[in-house]
Amino acid sequence: MILLLAMPSLLLMGLVFGWPMLRYCWLSFHADSVITGLVPVPNGGANWIRLMEDQRFWQDVVQTTRFASVSVGLELVLALTIALLLDQRWRGRGVVRALALLPWALPTTMMALGWRWIFNTPYGPIERLAHALGFEPLNLLSTPQWTWIVTALADVWKTTPFITLLLLAGLQTIPEDLYSALRLEGGRPLQALVRITLPLLLPYILISLLFRGAQAFGVFDLIQVLTGGGPAGTTESLALYAFMNAMRFLDFGYSATVMVAGFLLLTLAMLAAAVLLGLTGLLRPVQS
Amino acid sequence: MLIGRRLIHIGLIVLLMVGGVWAGQPKTQQVSILMPAPHADATAELVKKFNLEHRGRIDLKVIRGPLETESISDLAISSLLLGTPPFDALLVDVTWLPKYVAAGWLEPLDRWFDPADEDQLVQGAKLGNRIDGTLYRWPFGADVGLLYWRTDLMQEPPRTPEELVSTLTDLQRSDPDLNGFVWQGRQYEGLSCAFLEMLRAFGGQWLDPGSGEPQLNSPEALRTAAWMKDLLRRDISPQAITNYAESDVLQVFKAGDAALMRNWPYAWAELQAPGSAVRGRVGVTTMVAEPGLMPAATLGSWGLSILRGTQHPDATAEAIRYITSTKAQRDRFLDQGYTPTASSLFQDPELLAVAPVLPELEGALDHAVARPSTPLYAQMSDLLQRQLSGILTGAVPAVDGMIKAQDATLTLMRAAGEDA
Repeated sequence: MILLLAMPSLLLMGLVFGWPMLRYCWLSFHADSVITGLVPVPNGGANWIRLMEDQRFWQDVVQTTRFASVSVGLELVLALTIALLLDQRWRGRGVVRALALLPWALPTTMMALGWRWIFNTPYGPIERLAHALGFEPLNLLSTPQWTWIVTALADVWKTTPFITLLLLAGLQTIPEDLYSALRLEGGRPLQALVRITLPLLLPYILISLLFRGAQAFGVFDLIQVLTGGGPAGTTESLALYAFMNAMRFLDFGYSATVMVAGFLLLTLAMLAAAVLLGLTGLLRPVQS
Repeated sequence: MLIGRRLIHIGLIVLLMVGGVWAGQPKTQQVSILMPAPHADATAELVKKFNLEHRGRIDLKVIRGPLETESISDLAISSLLLGTPPFDALLVDVTWLPKYVAAGWLEPLDRWFDPADEDQLVQGAKLGNRIDGTLYRWPFGADVGLLYWRTDLMQEPPRTPEELVSTLTDLQRSDPDLNGFVWQGRQYEGLSCAFLEMLRAFGGQWLDPGSGEPQLNSPEALRTAAWMKDLLRRDISPQAITNYAESDVLQVFKAGDAALMRNWPYAWAELQAPGSAVRGRVGVTTMVAEPGLMPAATLGSWGLSILRGTQHPDATAEAIRYITSTKAQRDRFLDQGYTPTASSLFQDPELLAVAPVLPELEGALDHAVARPSTPLYAQMSDLLQRQLSGILTGAVPAVDGMIKAQDATLTLMRAAGEDA
């Protein structure tokens, strides 16, 4: 009976998620490029062997992970702070809550174009400020050591509101009497944060980490517009590499391989995180 | 009453007759061509004229695509992959042609254009239209890389890499704020174009013309990469160019902040426009080259290709012939500054009067050098850009970067079964 009731959603999931995924897996064992006249030809595991030896793929794995962890980490800290502030009662809170969501509502491509201009050398405002203060040109978009941080910061600006929203919703589920009880016992505000707020907020933090982690791992539009993967390929993400293989190089077999490999790595990372959290007992509040 | 019924009868008969004539008319053929926005705008007037002259027979529509070359390619490819494309012809960049032909997307044009037509073209416009002897593309405008120089800052443009460095070093000694030589250093196709010209300046080759093997680790290629890096190290070119594309470079040169610029012919009109700080103080020549070597100008250029599966190939070919006719080119050059492809126009006194730069352009077109013609070009160029960008931004030493580019190109060609 339960299975029967779940059928419609399972079917939908299979159609929009399962089928394309299976198709990509199948394609990753085929050569399908201009050389084969865009017809899939089985090539054993040649794509996968190429992937294992493809330094660029592994560099992109490192870069994508670096981007995802730094941006999501920063977003979490910022979002928690902002959510705690927005949860307090003060005049004008409603307006600020609405304004805080604004960056999230903007299209990524538009704001990426904006950032490209802000970081432009020598005409962007940041360079002008640096020049006025007597600094050497910063070249923020053309310095391999810095440019990836710029992309992460642009992402933080854009998606912090999303986590803020999730955490704010979470904060509102925490019963007020817990805080009253703590105050009666003579507890200090910091204790309230560590003993009540954070443990009860944990499921929401984990959910947002899951959402944003997966999303940041698949970053494409921001990078494509802001840097195109440069300089020297230091900001290229896995999704961008898969896109280049498919749309620019017309190599669909290898593009599918990159995508499936990225999916597998992400799943593995998520599983490892879940097991680790389970072992350390951090997940327990979620179950209770 | 009776009159009313009769009127209705007459009305019906008239309607039937008109309908019959209507149905007997040949149907108007809808032809649509996808172009990047600037090209579409430059063609708009011609399309109007064409539609007036062909009313009832052909209705031509030019679709305004995105501005950037790569975005046009993404758009075109996504619709081509879906099967029947929504347009009949496409403006194709010279580097896409081998890929599109290998994918089986283009219709051979030999039925509509013959060698006599090709003989009318200027040298640089003859290149990059044929794949294995079959014509797939008809040139829309001629396009090659040029070296723009400031006539108020130097007597004559530098001819060799050594002259370039010494001239600019002297100039910068008297004006330390001057950016000497600006070129496309961003990690994108423009970097490959600039590199190819400099590579040929030192006598190098991207692919060996005989064997087809990559030559990116040759002593000449290593010297080229080292020289490019050296331009940045000595501040002859500003470090910022490592994020510059054509338009950024043009802004700097147009503002009067640079002495030399590598760019395409379209920049000329912009530099002579009222807002330009260097109006009337700009000369055009080809890239420098070592003594005894021919200078090289990377072949750009767009051309029109008919897509396989179109319902109206003949009408499409007619439209292509119309918008690339000598007269059309003449108008497009006078109004918009698009370089003509017909060799006769380079001697046209009226054109020479408004654009004394034409002989230089023709000379550069004679030195046109094509980028490797292979379906793998996009990948090969991407591999090279990545390493060049690394070299210019200091992420990798010049020698290591070029060796990596060479190895990656070899691996790619072997994997695709393209090695000689």
